[in-house]
Amino acid sequence: MSADQLLTYLSWLMFTIIFVVVTVQAIRRPSRAHLDIALLFAAPVLIIAIAIGTLLGVFSSTGVAAYLASSALLSLPYLLVRLVDDIIVAALWVRRSIEVLLVIALICLWVLPVERPAWINILLELYVIAVLIYVIFASVKATLKARGVTHRRLAAMSLGSLFLVMNIAVGSLGLWLPEQIALWRAMAELLGLAAGVSYLVGFAPPRWLRRAWQEPELRAFLGRAATLPRLPTTNAIVQALQQGAADSIGIENARIGLWDEANQVLLFEQAGQQAALSIDEDIPTAHAFRMQKPIFSPNTHYSEQIRARSAHFNSASALLAAPITAGTRRLGVLIAYAPRAPIFADDDLALIQLLADQAAVILESRVLIDQAARVHGREEAARLKEDFLSAAAHDLKTPLTTLVARAQLMERRAQRDPTAPADQASIQVLITEAQRLKRLVLDLLDATRVEQGQLVSRREKVDLVVLVHDICARLATPRHPCTIDGETEVVGYYDQQRIAQLLDNLVENAIKYSPDGGPIRISVRHEDSGINMSVTDHGIGIPADDIPHLFTRFHRGTNVDDRRFPGMGLGLFICKGIVEQHGGQIMIHSQPGQGSTFQVSLPFVPNEVVTYDS
Amino acid sequence: MTPDILVIDDDPAILMTVADILRDEGYAVRTAAGGMEGLAAIDDHRPALILLDMRMPVLDGWGVARALRDRGVTVPLVVMTAAQDMRWGQEIGAAHTLAKPFDLLDLLTVVEQIVAR
Repeated sequence: MSADQLLTYLSWLMFTIIFVVVTVQAIRRPSRAHLDIALLFAAPVLIIAIAIGTLLGVFSSTGVAAYLASSALLSLPYLLVRLVDDIIVAALWVRRSIEVLLVIALICLWVLPVERPAWINILLELYVIAVLIYVIFASVKATLKARGVTHRRLAAMSLGSLFLVMNIAVGSLGLWLPEQIALWRAMAELLGLAAGVSYLVGFAPPRWLRRAWQEPELRAFLGRAATLPRLPTTNAIVQALQQGAADSIGIENARIGLWDEANQVLLFEQAGQQAALSIDEDIPTAHAFRMQKPIFSPNTHYSEQIRARSAHFNSASALLAAPITAGTRRLGVLIAYAPRAPIFADDDLALIQLLADQAAVILESRVLIDQAARVHGREEAARLKEDFLSAAAHDLKTPLTTLVARAQLMERRAQRDPTAPADQASIQVLITEAQRLKRLVLDLLDATRVEQGQLVSRREKVDLVVLVHDICARLATPRHPCTIDGETEVVGYYDQQRIAQLLDNLVENAIKYSPDGGPIRISVRHEDSGINMSVTDHGIGIPADDIPHLFTRFHRGTNVDDRRFPGMGLGLFICKGIVEQHGGQIMIHSQPGQGSTFQVSLPFVPNEVVTYDS
Repeated sequence: MTPDILVIDDDPAILMTVADILRDEGYAVRTAAGGMEGLAAIDDHRPALILLDMRMPVLDGWGVARALRDRGVTVPLVVMTAAQDMRWGQEIGAAHTLAKPFDLLDLLTVVEQIVAR
């Protein structure tokens, strides 16, 4: 037995084994796809059987058997197109044309005499090659679009068709180069075998191979799972889960519907639009959710509602659906769509349930994270409010204590001696404390506005240099002279009243915390794309530890003696609010004992802005 | 002998007003603008009563009470506080707590009762 003979027998054996395997599969699970693949391998096995019969002398090389073998060969492309249509959609006109051509080819074969003209043989060969090229074209196109396991399956199918074309081409070489006929025959056998194996792997991959092919995407998805609950929105998590599930199963689209307990519907979000699906509908998705188990629907006329709302699922006809449930809490449903049922395999039901369970864990974590954040936020807000109220009440009560007691003291003195002259000292105390109270109340109101982001209201054209000159003229004293440097004009649109309040506060602070006197230096200038204002003193300075807390409400420097430097600790908090609500920043540079510089940078607003949106 | 009352508060206006009220009634009043100054005043001469503010910088009302206890000084304390929490007085064993802002007559009644004992 020569080597090429051995190869021929081996290839026959392989095709027979494959045929037996796919036939058993088709009998166990009779579906169109399984029958088609059994038929595809039945054709070569028929040819092989006839060849063996001819070798053994059972059939004559010109009898009915030879015609049958040729017919099987001619049907191969048609059977292949059927299979392609099972997995990727082939256009109807293509299928019909190929059917018509097949019938014509078969008529030619059976009706015309054996010594038919050569051009008819060439036409028959062209028919086979044309169909194969169509199959290659369609499967390569689908391969490029597909992902994961489906991409790998379609690649194997494309390769199978390529091997088949090469098989025919190499077989034809024998006609042109007959001296190497043994070599061409051996190569043709090898290519035929390669085509058969590729088709088997592509159309009906064994379970272990599917699993191996799914693994990279599944591994990537599970690897990302831990980070998903931290995504900014639930929608972002849903998108990532959909993508991960689609990649893992090897399909183009997966959808997650979130259970809306209040309205008893599943909500699907797509391209910013929400679609609600009632779970009472008689469709697989609703069944999967109601019965809380995964469902495979090979031929789905799924909800017209969803079809209408998601145009690009139009080509989908098969689906897998699995409930997303955490413990007993129903969170939603995961659906995987494919254009053709054989894209899915039997064990994909287990896979989609695994993915849905993973999605449940991730969505549930998200809910818990959100809840924790809400509770924490509420507690924090309540605590801040309480702190604010008690600090505010405490500070208001201080001048109020003096006002009440002093007024009653004056009343008592007047009752004892109605003729006594007016108690000027007490009147002065009343006025001072009443002013202090007024200032506190205004500051408290401003502090509240800072929190509501309503501090800055009407913007108008302001020359900041003019504003600084006004403040200097008002606040400077011989002990605290004011110097201004920088540009001569800095005009922009700001809330004039608030900027004046800001500068007032900074300059008052500079004076207040320079008890031994010293110059206050103010500068205003354009810098980069904004405006830079600074107020510098040579006072007591601020310890480095205090600087981070300085803009916090009710915080006062640890080196500040309350009696020498009275205040509530709201001034800088309000200053920061004014600056930030103008879109700017405030910074401090200070050396204890040397002085401090408060530096304000504001965006330059050269033109009128209608409203300010913080 | 005129009873001697020590008033400790970091707010100068309150300190002056409380002192004026008590002096009008004939008490001898000394004032201290903080806890440290208050303790220094006790070293010189033990008062019959201390009117004590709680929240003060450097040495607060709790600090003053602790220092008095440590030194074995037993002087009746009347707490004056603007805080909501009236338990502060009990915490430091004060004879009475006056909630700021308080009425002149309340102040006088409390002082009279304690000094008369």
